[in-house]
Amino acid sequence: MTIDKFVYENNKYVDIAIEGRFDFSFHQQFRDSYSDCSEKGTTFTLKLDQTSYMDSSALGMILLLKDHADKLGGKVVINKPNETVKKILQIAQFHRLFTIE
Amino acid sequence: MTVLVQHNKQKLALVVDDSVLQCKVLKLLLEEEGYRVLIANDGARGVAMYIKHQPDLVLMDINMPVMDGYQATRKIKSLSQSNLAPLIFITSMDTDKAFIESIDAGGDGILVRPFSPAVFKAKIKSIQRISDLYSQVKSLQQAQQKDAELAEQIMSGVIKNKNFGLDRIGLIQQAAALFSGDIALTAQSPSGDIIVLLGDFTGHGLRSCIGAIPLSETFSVMSKKGFSLLEIIAQINIQLYDLLPVDLFFCATFINISNDARSVYSLNAGLPDAYVFDDKGQIKHQIVSSHPPLGVLPSLLPDARLSIVSVDDTDRVVLISDGILEARNELGDMYGVERFEDTVKQGILAQNVAATVEQNVNGFCKGMAQEDDISLIDIPCGGWQQDVDKKNIVKQLTPSLLDEAKSSSQSVWCWQLSLAGQRLAAVNPVPLAMHHIHDVEGTGEHWQALYTILTELFVNALDHGVLGLSSEFKATPEGFSNYFLAREKRLKQLTTGSVEISLSYYLLKDGGKMDIIIEDDGNGFDHKRFCVNDSAKIEKSSLTYGRGIGLVSELCESLEYSKKGSWVKASYVWGQEDLNA
Repeated sequence: MTIDKFVYENNKYVDIAIEGRFDFSFHQQFRDSYSDCSEKGTTFTLKLDQTSYMDSSALGMILLLKDHADKLGGKVVINKPNETVKKILQIAQFHRLFTIE
Repeated sequence: MTVLVQHNKQKLALVVDDSVLQCKVLKLLLEEEGYRVLIANDGARGVAMYIKHQPDLVLMDINMPVMDGYQATRKIKSLSQSNLAPLIFITSMDTDKAFIESIDAGGDGILVRPFSPAVFKAKIKSIQRISDLYSQVKSLQQAQQKDAELAEQIMSGVIKNKNFGLDRIGLIQQAAALFSGDIALTAQSPSGDIIVLLGDFTGHGLRSCIGAIPLSETFSVMSKKGFSLLEIIAQINIQLYDLLPVDLFFCATFINISNDARSVYSLNAGLPDAYVFDDKGQIKHQIVSSHPPLGVLPSLLPDARLSIVSVDDTDRVVLISDGILEARNELGDMYGVERFEDTVKQGILAQNVAATVEQNVNGFCKGMAQEDDISLIDIPCGGWQQDVDKKNIVKQLTPSLLDEAKSSSQSVWCWQLSLAGQRLAAVNPVPLAMHHIHDVEGTGEHWQALYTILTELFVNALDHGVLGLSSEFKATPEGFSNYFLAREKRLKQLTTGSVEISLSYYLLKDGGKMDIIIEDDGNGFDHKRFCVNDSAKIEKSSLTYGRGIGLVSELCESLEYSKKGSWVKASYVWGQEDLNA
């Protein structure tokens, strides 16, 4: 379980990559990964290609990130979830709230 | 807070040693560290004093008369699983054996003589620090346990008890060790529809159930007042959006079973598929999630709509939260969809879905710790209407009451509402009317018939008058769905058209009368076909449509259509005994 963060073009693009199970144990780490990004219009990309599973508290954490991005006039993109995670996002109908690519 | 209080209290130490001199030295040192000190000169007395005084720290010699230090320590530790007082051996036996035996007996540390006062004090401090941390964790754990218990108490005591029809609805509600926020609600609408909600709040413990109380209030009040399912869902969403923090939300499936229309209306917002099974256990329909969970968006998505399925009386609707599908066995495998569907089939054939599934899931998990709440609701589609029909049996009114009803001319109050265009499409006036009646005249069983009259007449005016829908659509089961799809489409596009409702209330000597006039600006409809005084004819003809007007004319003293069916007046009379019923 690790979180990696990559920042491009003066904080305009922030990638957050999550490896392993994305659940409540990530709470603080996940929040720390974006809370200091306060650039207007930042696009946050959640890279989920290495994420094996996600629980409902992870969905909640993504909503917190969205809340943060909305306040900056930015957005959140969910990138390459695997089949299991895609199913979870599908049930929660998150494609109605986020771009999933 | 309790942790702080413990810090401020002067701590109590117990010294168990047969040497009076040693005891004096240790007492002095401990007092310098702020302890009150008790002394016992042998192991047996040490145990007795431990029980009596429950000290915060024990210093134990090893070689003592009557009972040695190891024995005394074993006794003390066996007595005090919940008490965390650290115990330190003080000895001059500087051997590995003594050290290992001290720890084996349950000691938390060993101090070998000779030692300087400074080393002794440092040892006491360090052991006390660990013990403080330990008791802090313990009290936090207790607080959490209390929260979880409170959460469960709220869910079971306050909420579950209000549920309707549990004699016919099967339930599994198996909370995880740390209660995690599943909630099941059932209610009956005034028209006899069964409304059911199965939901799952994110989070655990008390956090997961803060939304539960207002949610269950809203659900039960709005259901009873006859609001439509989508109105109830929209209101709950607003409420949870305002109430819950951003990362907390509510996944739920809502079901409305209408016996009249032999249909199931549903919306799944974030839960696994819900099912309609036939009486052989075959899947007739799956209700998939079509909306984000509630409490996430300030209002429902514009395209949020109920799915409508035709059902037979022998069908069953089964709702689950994700706890069943994700329940794991010792190999880490999940219970999963296939096992679940197979087991429900067996359950339907065995005529007890809830018990069959519960047994099968628990057998699969074989005592593995349950990670999430396990919930299921199993609802029969048929047999609900009887309850309402019985309640609606028209009471025999006395001739004098009827005479008075005909001649009464002065109403004590009138209420009127006109709706046009988009407002007509969006607002259901029946609950508003009922709300007004309850406000002025109080609640009572006899209003249920009035609700049915208002609903039937208003729906006729809107569907047939304004929207121009023909009820013959509904002659076949598929027709029902088509009818509602067409209805929804036309409502969306509605820009003109109006319906006016007026109520006049007359006070009679032994009862009361309500005149209801509903007028629409449509082209009318063929009301005569259904204006049969003898509703048994309709019953016999087993038509799946056109029951409404027959039912209304049976409930009313008089029912009069004019203007080709676009104007209707109904008089509903009730006697005093209805009020007392």
